[in-house]
Amino acid sequence: MSEYKTTVGIEVHAELKTNTKIFSSSCNGYANMANTHVNVVDLGYPGTLPTLNAEVIVKAIRASHVLNCKINKKMHFDRKNYFYPDLPKGYQITQARTPIGVDGYVEIEVDGTKKKIGIHDIHIEEDTCKSIHYNNSSLLDFNRAGVPLVEIVTKPDMSSSKEAVLYLEKLRELLLYADVSDCKIEEGSMRCDVNVSVSKSSVLGTRIEIKNIGSISNVGLAIDSEVKRQIELLESGNTLHEETRRYDEKSNTTVLMRVKETGNDYRYFPEADIPYVILDDTYIDNVIQHLPMLSSTRREIYLKRGINPVNVDKIIQNRKISDYLNRYLDKNINLVMASNLLLGDIASYLNKNSTSMDETCFNEEKFIQVVNMLDKGDMSSKIFKEILNDLFESNESIDNLLNKHGISKMSDDDLKAIIKNIIDNNQDNVTQYKSGNERILKYFVGQVMKETKGSADPVLVNKYLLEELSK
Amino acid sequence: MSKYLDLSIKEINTLLKDKKIKPIDLVEEAFERIDNNSDLNAFITLDRENALKKAQELENKEVDNLLFGIPIAIKDNIVTKDLRTTCASHMLDNFIPIYNATVVDKILDKNMIIIGKCNMDEFAMGSTSRTSYYGAPLNPWDKTKIAGGSSGGSASCIAARLVPLALGSDTGGSIRQPSSYCGIVGMKPTYGRVSRYGLIAFASSLDQIGPMTTNVYDNALLLNAISGHDDKDLTSSYREVEDYTRLIGSDIKGMKIAVPNFFMSDIVDKEIKDKVEEIINLLKDNGASVSYIDIDYIENAVTLYQIIAMGEASSNLARFDGVRYGYSCDNPKNLEDLYKRTRQEGFGDEVKRRIMVGSYLLSGENATTYYNKALQIRDDISKSFKKAFAEYDLIIGPNTTTVAYGIGANLDNPSQTFLDDVLVIPVNMAGLPGMNVPIGFNHEHLPIGLQIIGDSFEEAKMYQLAAFIEKKLNLDLMREVVK
Repeated sequence: MSEYKTTVGIEVHAELKTNTKIFSSSCNGYANMANTHVNVVDLGYPGTLPTLNAEVIVKAIRASHVLNCKINKKMHFDRKNYFYPDLPKGYQITQARTPIGVDGYVEIEVDGTKKKIGIHDIHIEEDTCKSIHYNNSSLLDFNRAGVPLVEIVTKPDMSSSKEAVLYLEKLRELLLYADVSDCKIEEGSMRCDVNVSVSKSSVLGTRIEIKNIGSISNVGLAIDSEVKRQIELLESGNTLHEETRRYDEKSNTTVLMRVKETGNDYRYFPEADIPYVILDDTYIDNVIQHLPMLSSTRREIYLKRGINPVNVDKIIQNRKISDYLNRYLDKNINLVMASNLLLGDIASYLNKNSTSMDETCFNEEKFIQVVNMLDKGDMSSKIFKEILNDLFESNESIDNLLNKHGISKMSDDDLKAIIKNIIDNNQDNVTQYKSGNERILKYFVGQVMKETKGSADPVLVNKYLLEELSK
Repeated sequence: MSKYLDLSIKEINTLLKDKKIKPIDLVEEAFERIDNNSDLNAFITLDRENALKKAQELENKEVDNLLFGIPIAIKDNIVTKDLRTTCASHMLDNFIPIYNATVVDKILDKNMIIIGKCNMDEFAMGSTSRTSYYGAPLNPWDKTKIAGGSSGGSASCIAARLVPLALGSDTGGSIRQPSSYCGIVGMKPTYGRVSRYGLIAFASSLDQIGPMTTNVYDNALLLNAISGHDDKDLTSSYREVEDYTRLIGSDIKGMKIAVPNFFMSDIVDKEIKDKVEEIINLLKDNGASVSYIDIDYIENAVTLYQIIAMGEASSNLARFDGVRYGYSCDNPKNLEDLYKRTRQEGFGDEVKRRIMVGSYLLSGENATTYYNKALQIRDDISKSFKKAFAEYDLIIGPNTTTVAYGIGANLDNPSQTFLDDVLVIPVNMAGLPGMNVPIGFNHEHLPIGLQIIGDSFEEAKMYQLAAFIEKKLNLDLMREVVK
């Protein structure tokens, strides 16, 4: 069965993070109550007309740019006509003939080899409303009606579930860092439909669509189980028909939703209520210039500043951490130390307390001070851990916090005095050391740290101990 | 009984300013005339209570503009907040809008008083107003004749002097043709001059709201009031609103006028052609030049119109599905049953016919064969008009091939009525302004109208010519209908 070749194409719908909806002034955002972010335009009320939110165009240009697409400088909208209760006007306004971006690619790295996944097109459209099926009836929530989307359609360029997962992870990263969408699959702001076919020849097999898969890892599982199903059917002499399936997480199988009707006709035609949108080069350039720092640039900088590749990936995976770290790019601090803290103790505290740095007392000034103290050995990581909660929760200065914990910054003379005292009281060990047992040094370090409650800089302790022992 | 409504807007305004009359006198007179002429069936809904209340409120306000306190009728496809808006369809028989069309807000800003909603063809689909769910309005000049359509109720109530002002809408001649049949002045402005927000869409790329009045000056006044850019309508023009009355009364000497040969061909009744010839001579005698020209594809305009308008209509009317507003069938068995029966029971025959034809025209390959091709030829018509306007100030010709015909005629041939609009449709195809000004009567004393077509945003020049003709002819257009 190994001679079957798998072909995968993916359609992603990403909700755009705009303030208002695409064709009306209703709020585009989270609402506690159903049908509160709604006006006559969203309801498809007779006589209403769409307006066009410029923010949508800006975000769609950004998306086209990061997906390396050619931008259509003269574009219009089209109507896609079909009847469904979640479609208020009886048509969806989308872009069929002049998608904003065409012919792009996303580069992924599969087992160390780079591969370009072709983007057929990226087009702008409006979301439908949300149907909630309740007892025997369906309820409609129009808050989502008219939320702006971009649909990103790949070419059938992926040949495994692994590539599909890598593509989606990369796509998510690109859109997230271009401020296009928050790409939360679980919340529905990014939705994946996957087309899968298998074939033994160079002719593509029958395409099966798997709709609305709930997470990126499930996309991988869904493809694997679907490929297995298709091969089994073909091997037992069956013919496949185009159909739409969904992925059932519990059984790890795909389940039939509907067989595709031939000639599903959406009667596309140009939307006369919205004139052509003309994008000139100055406008496009201006949008691109104002892009936030993209993930590729961030990666480069972090690596150059010495952060290890594993940690760089961890930072990029969390936009909040990356954005926070970027505040210190031009500050004179050790970025490796800073990133270690952010990924380690700080991340745990923030997660545990579901908060963010800016909501706590651990301000930028303190952060710089802490990183520098740790970097120069003026504070040990043990002490950092000890004062961590206070750093977040107390307005007091770091010196005060250290004092409060009985840790005062020690002068060199004090440290030397302590060391001298310990050596004086442990002559037996000194003798052993001098007779060649170098492990004894560790014992002394331990004693010093114990005496100083860990507040001493280990580097200095070593240095002064050696000086004292060589006397 | 008073006869203030026979006066011009300027004359009424003077009386209001001098406190010789109050707005309520006008409103009461309008309702009295409407009641006495209810057989015209010009209105679907009257707003008696609110109109009287509004008139009383205005008594304490300064008469600050010419249109202050003037009763106005609104075609029933323009939404009015809290006032039933039916589109003359069973589908919207119980529909009370929750917002105002932009033009309605503009009318209320000028303190005009909305009297009621005018009868029309169902969803403006028709040329006779006979497709109305509420029965056809009648022509005041001869109540056995149609008022035309689709703005038949608006034309009928103006011709009968029930109100001095009305709004119509024109997708393929729906203001000009009934204005011609009823002997009134009607203007379809340049596409984009008046906001379409709140006009229940028939064919989005063609629809335009316009004023219908008894005389040219009043028409220009009303256009002044309703024009202008609207942020809610992306197709509305940013071009500044001019005073459309400003050229009225100016001489037409040196004006260059063109007549398309098609407009004077055999498709037009001889009596109408003769009247237009008389006007051509009148204009020549007064220093204008008149030349005959050809406009490319003008004879194909009806076919293009059918493709474009029905295609767009099939999509625009998809929202009437029984889910959110309007008619919804009883006890649907399931979703499909809800859709099917709501639309089957809610729409009339002509509307269903156009939705079906439109859906067919946009299906699969047809979209390319018909719709896209129609858009291309439509562009060519536009270009040909543009070429003409590079040389000529205005284009004239008849608006209709016949005068108003019998209320029962041509009922069995739905495609025949499209030919009523063969002379008015080219203007919509090119997005140009076109108007009707009455120029006389046929042997049965039924009105004949002249169509004046201008280049985009040249409404002022059209009014100049129309006012000149109106003054020279000084026709008696007053119908003695008040019993």
